[in-house]
Amino acid sequence: MDKILLFLSTIRWQDVFDIALSGYLLFRLYVLFRGTNVFRILIGIALLWFFQRISVSIGLIVTSWAIQGITAVAALIIIVVFRNEIRSVLQAKNLKSIFWGFPRGVTLTPLEIITDSVFELAKKRVGALLVLPGNEDLTEAVHSGITWQGLVSTEMILSIFWHDNPVHDGAAIIQGDEVKEVGVVLPLSHREDLPSDYGTRHRAAAGLAENTDALVIVVSEERGRVSVAKGTDIRVVRQKDKLREILQNHVGVATKHWGRIKKEKLELGVAAVVSFIFIAGVWFSFSRGMDTLMILDIPIEYMNRPPEMEILSTSANAVSLELSGSGALMRSLKPDQLKVRLDLAKGAVGANTFTITPENVSLPPGVFLKDIQTDAVQVTLDVPVKKEVPVQIDWAGNLPGDLLISEATYDPQVVQLIGSKRILDKISTIYTEKVFVDSIKESGTVTAKLALNPASLRLAPGSKDRVTINYVVKKRDL
Amino acid sequence: MTHKLKLFILIVLAFCSLSSQGYPEETKPPSAPPEQKDLTLVRAAMCEGIEEYIPQNPGIVFPTTIGKILCFTAFDPVPEKTVVYHNWYRNDELITKVKLTLKPPRWSTFSSIQLREADKGPWRLEIVDQKDRLHKTLRFSVTD
Repeated sequence: MDKILLFLSTIRWQDVFDIALSGYLLFRLYVLFRGTNVFRILIGIALLWFFQRISVSIGLIVTSWAIQGITAVAALIIIVVFRNEIRSVLQAKNLKSIFWGFPRGVTLTPLEIITDSVFELAKKRVGALLVLPGNEDLTEAVHSGITWQGLVSTEMILSIFWHDNPVHDGAAIIQGDEVKEVGVVLPLSHREDLPSDYGTRHRAAAGLAENTDALVIVVSEERGRVSVAKGTDIRVVRQKDKLREILQNHVGVATKHWGRIKKEKLELGVAAVVSFIFIAGVWFSFSRGMDTLMILDIPIEYMNRPPEMEILSTSANAVSLELSGSGALMRSLKPDQLKVRLDLAKGAVGANTFTITPENVSLPPGVFLKDIQTDAVQVTLDVPVKKEVPVQIDWAGNLPGDLLISEATYDPQVVQLIGSKRILDKISTIYTEKVFVDSIKESGTVTAKLALNPASLRLAPGSKDRVTINYVVKKRDL
Repeated sequence: MTHKLKLFILIVLAFCSLSSQGYPEETKPPSAPPEQKDLTLVRAAMCEGIEEYIPQNPGIVFPTTIGKILCFTAFDPVPEKTVVYHNWYRNDELITKVKLTLKPPRWSTFSSIQLREADKGPWRLEIVDQKDRLHKTLRFSVTD
């Protein structure tokens, strides 16, 4: 009991939220992709992974290597195989349908109007093809449609398929309460078992139904017969009620079928529970499984430095942290996820010792700080000041033995330096870079840059960084 | 001549490789009563030698091969017996401080250092009196 309480006390509200959010996202993926081939393929990939682990454990080198290769490209396979499903989900009109709604429930297709219209067409011996899409996108299965976007009504449907209408030969796609497209060309079925009296219209209906999850209603022009094609099944429907029931089953309204609704709710409930259990399992395996210890050197970030001060030196640029966490988390740690921050707001001029405490350390969730191996850091702060110093030429090299440089004038003779007070206090001269005398044979002029050492020193605005030197060469008195 | 000999012996004993020497430019006291003027440096030069109170080969760049360099200084007037210091710095670091005695009414003196390979680099020499007043800074380099 104590162990359970101790365990529960280590769970943060972020962990609960993390599991809930991830579980819900997984559940939503199920809702959006259910009824499609996605899950069958995912199960296939999961089985491949399972076999790969088995083959590794029993030492089947080539098999495990091959399966590993296949699962590695699984992401690519998923994108290629499910491009239609992914597109139909991403093309959803609003975020609600992705994050909250249930695709079947939101379809408000006026089935009564469609049923009446179809039998009216049949009565008048007007041929018609009506497509009611399922979950799959039909864009790649059909051709040559003309955008219509009219609200479904009996008059609308009758007029679309009227003999004199230029688009009456094609199919009409009905989505929700709209006729989306008319004059659509459907793929023809090549099945040989279709009845011989089936014409092009029936073959087109069968073709689309075989290739997609759409339902197609056919009205025969010659016999005035209504047929419905779904999947590989194509059958004649003689009664309005039967057609209405088929349509209700297809669009998922099924208001009279409480049993089916219950079944669907149960299915969704089970899916939700499985999603949360699965994510909780993954979370525990990540955050609680197999404690791993690791020592990492993390660079120190200095914050809130008083603006008038500069950091002159630090005793350490990184802090050694002893961290623990699950193996998976520790292996996936990236340097930018770990931060050690020191607040210099209270720093004073001179050497400051800052103790590193857990409050200075920022870690990603699931990673715990066991020990800080660098207890303290010494930071030397200083105030930058200006100082005027004389310039001196740093002559070097080997002047010919019979010559000597008797004097030199140079400009500037003094410059203003900006740097930390502690450094400038020790500097009384600024030297030029080395001016070599080896090639000097007579009096002349040369320029040299000032050597700013240490590099933190800089020249004040207005001070020249090059020195012009006029030197006088004389013969040496031997 | 006696003064020069005494001074020479003192320098050898005191500084070993460093040396300093004073030259009374006029041993006789002035006939007129001395005016109370400040100690004034009238000439200062880095050179390779001194002959007849005149610096030889004065310059600002000296190779180590010449073995020794000197700093020649001449004061006029010297109101009273006093001392000055020749402070030798290499790269801002004080290498040696040579104390030199001056006597009225005027006086010339010098200090020197032996040059070694390790002495290469920029040097400066500060001439400072007893009251810590800086009279002049001479800047030069020791090269190959």
